[in-house]
Amino acid sequence: MTLRGLFIAAAALAISAGPAPAADEWGIEHEEVVRFEAKVVDLLCEIAGDCPPACGAGKRQLGLLKEDGTLIPVVKNFDPFAGAVNDLKEFCGKRIVADGLLIADPLMPMMVLQFKREAPDGKWSRANWFVRDWAAANGVARDSEKAGQWFYHDKTIKAEIDRDGPFGIPGLKPDNE
Amino acid sequence: MKYFLGIVAAALAALTTTLPALASTPDRVRVTGEIVDTWCYVTEIMYAEGTAHHQCAVWCAVGGIPVSILGEDGNVYMVLKVEGDGDNVANPRIVKIQSHKVTVDGDLYVRDGVRYLVVTQVADDHGIVKLTHDEYGIQPFGE
Repeated sequence: MTLRGLFIAAAALAISAGPAPAADEWGIEHEEVVRFEAKVVDLLCEIAGDCPPACGAGKRQLGLLKEDGTLIPVVKNFDPFAGAVNDLKEFCGKRIVADGLLIADPLMPMMVLQFKREAPDGKWSRANWFVRDWAAANGVARDSEKAGQWFYHDKTIKAEIDRDGPFGIPGLKPDNE
Repeated sequence: MKYFLGIVAAALAALTTTLPALASTPDRVRVTGEIVDTWCYVTEIMYAEGTAHHQCAVWCAVGGIPVSILGEDGNVYMVLKVEGDGDNVANPRIVKIQSHKVTVDGDLYVRDGVRYLVVTQVADDHGIVKLTHDEYGIQPFGE
């Protein structure tokens, strides 16, 4: 390959893959920083053979199926109080490179997704598409304070807390109210 | 004959690459325990049981984090289906019973250390019975 060819190839790689990110450590017991390639699957489909189209199109919990047959549920993304379904659903049935934390807790092994890209050389993106999608659905800027604290502003949550209170028992209120 | 066997082999190969691995036979179980947020409880990033954690459990369920049952046996069972409803992301029915003590019947699948539960019947819903807010306030921010 010529030098020009090498530059073009390097530039194409940078555009397609982006910088290789590295997962943050969160200081959780049993956590391991991991990066691996796996197929995105619908957990209920994989476990019990109940398989709607498109992995449930956002209504099903998703997991990562490794080449050796190991299945890991992805329970968390990089947003506060949010899972990773919005980050993974478009990759249903595809192989991705997942970057994040494996919580190898014997009580329940599970994965925190921090970055992802389609394998083998898709573009990296931060696993923060829950807030991206919430902001779009609620007509606010993705980087707004409202989106950052989506859990205080979400209509479904507000209705639940207004009805039952923060402790879940109607009439039971915090001491300062 | 060789041609026929070749077609059969190709069909089998295609099936094994497109369908999920055949699920293991589940165990029929009855589980009694509290509906909890999987992430907060397993990681212990905060106190995650009862009234003190109810609001946070609602946040997490609406945010799409899997919901589990913390069994009286100490095990955590990730709930994938409830009485025929396979929507397990922010399902309004499941959101409404966060922190409740329930007794359920279902099929238990154990794979790679995770207990997955397909609930076939909610036999009893006791409501919220674990009062923890006096000791732990409102988790995690106090409001």
